[in-house]
Amino acid sequence: MRRVLRIYRRSLGAHLRAVLEYEADFWILVVAGLLFQVLNLVFLSAVFAHVPALNGWSYPEAVLLAGTFGFINGLGPLFFEGTWRLARRINHGELDYPLVRPVNVPVQVISGGIGMHGFGDVVGGGAMIGWGLANAGIEWTPVKIVGGLVMLVSSATILLSLIVIGNAVSFWVGGPHPVFAMTLIRTADMAKYPITIYGVAVRAAFTVLVPYAFISFFPATWVLDKEHSWIGLLTPLMAAYCVWLARTVFRAGLRRYDSAGH
Amino acid sequence: MSLVEARGLTKIFRRPEKDPGLRGALKHLVQRRFKDFRAVDGIDLSIEAGESVAYVGPNGAGKSTTIKLLTGILVPTAGTVSVAGLNPNADRVANARNIGVLFGQRTQLWWDLPVRESLDLLRDMYDLSPAFYKQRLERLDAVLGLGELLPVMSRKLSLGQRMRADLAAALLHQPKIVYLDEPTIGLDIAVKDRVREFLRELRADGTTLMLTTHDLGDIEDVCERIVIIDEGRKIFDGPLAEMKDRFARVRRMHLQLAEVTPLEKLAERLPEVEIVGGESPTEVTITFDRFRYTAGLVIAAVLDVVEVGELHLDEPAIEDVVRKVYAGELLR
Repeated sequence: MRRVLRIYRRSLGAHLRAVLEYEADFWILVVAGLLFQVLNLVFLSAVFAHVPALNGWSYPEAVLLAGTFGFINGLGPLFFEGTWRLARRINHGELDYPLVRPVNVPVQVISGGIGMHGFGDVVGGGAMIGWGLANAGIEWTPVKIVGGLVMLVSSATILLSLIVIGNAVSFWVGGPHPVFAMTLIRTADMAKYPITIYGVAVRAAFTVLVPYAFISFFPATWVLDKEHSWIGLLTPLMAAYCVWLARTVFRAGLRRYDSAGH
Repeated sequence: MSLVEARGLTKIFRRPEKDPGLRGALKHLVQRRFKDFRAVDGIDLSIEAGESVAYVGPNGAGKSTTIKLLTGILVPTAGTVSVAGLNPNADRVANARNIGVLFGQRTQLWWDLPVRESLDLLRDMYDLSPAFYKQRLERLDAVLGLGELLPVMSRKLSLGQRMRADLAAALLHQPKIVYLDEPTIGLDIAVKDRVREFLRELRADGTTLMLTTHDLGDIEDVCERIVIIDEGRKIFDGPLAEMKDRFARVRRMHLQLAEVTPLEKLAERLPEVEIVGGESPTEVTITFDRFRYTAGLVIAAVLDVVEVGELHLDEPAIEDVVRKVYAGELLR
């Protein structure tokens, strides 16, 4: 495991250096990420300028929720960007070399790139989390601090697993673009608002079918002691399930891989 | 057991069967039809340690697919593979340490990184010690001129440079078994020679080699055994010399005659032989089936008609044999 992590780190580091080869690109992406989070904030402020609370969520609480989502969403490009290139690599038969190296293939795939727009998301989202936590009037206890961190990690794990699952579907689809994963992850965007604003069907789907609600909503309800906050405690379990699913789907896909040409 | 052993190796790809054009594509969306395509069809193959094997066949014969099956990239539809006692698919990681693979048409170098960084990454993946790594780089520099390529970004390499760097990448961990899929494709003569020289050295070091190629020079320079496949089936497997004996039926004799002689007069003496005049009126080339005539018989027949000055006999070229295979002229 340590070896795998070391290889992952080195590979990601190499790609970071590669990205830094194109300096203009780097800055544009970082600024774009930040700007995206600022836009989120502007949108929320506009809504809350008209209503004092949204389905029982105050402005700082909504900022915390959106910030958490933005932060976690930024981890994808920063640490899992290579996953988005899987469809192309399958389509072009470019997994041949990873398959003949003595390293777990998902690690080689996941670390095969880095997207700097994630940097802006993480910084912007992080700032929103900080401001939200400070202004939401939370009573801090040691349990809440540790629990909050565990949930942040679990939430991130869920989203990253979804990225892997969505992209691994490309083993079956075969096209050069990760259309399924795009749909899956774009839809996750809806989870940056309190899911109580959606109808019951959407809520059920986001909880059971695809666990978007566990990415930010349920963990936040636990931290903020909202109604049904106990569901938030299931977040680590959901994360474990998602990791298992991602692993299983990827493995099954790899057995289907049939390279290109013959 | 041999180092590499394949039994009844078969790979069937499922291909969509579509009518041409947009209509066909749309029709396929609702009415999905597939056809099985046997890329590799029941191949048996044993390679001993230290052997160098050329794997030859026309385009689409199943060469690359065989390599992908032997290296564990593809899962066989049927049959078994064992490489150094391991199943390359189930024991993928352990097997990866024993083998080196090069696909000449593709690079494994990281596109946006200098060659040096790509090699450093591979060093980490193969857990090479710093001392071993340094020694390998020096060795690869000596035979491939790797040193000058290290600081260059992969995307800036010429094809020849890229192939040298890719060879280094494939052989960095000093694998016991090396599979090379068209290692000289697209290279100019000078680089080709360098690569072949390198492969000969590799062989001399005791590395087991299997290479697919369309360049017959690669085969004659590097390999002692040749396996020919066509349509996924093995049609010849043996020493290069034996292949020539068995399949190179046609020999060619070039003669310098003492005086101008009508070709018909020679033809009378040598039925079923092709006689062609050369550049000058006294030059003659006789092509004969060596199972019908010996070189001695041909000369004796000519000497009955006219004195002969110079003569030389072409070596049977494997090119002729392989060309026939490609054209489908050899019997199964």
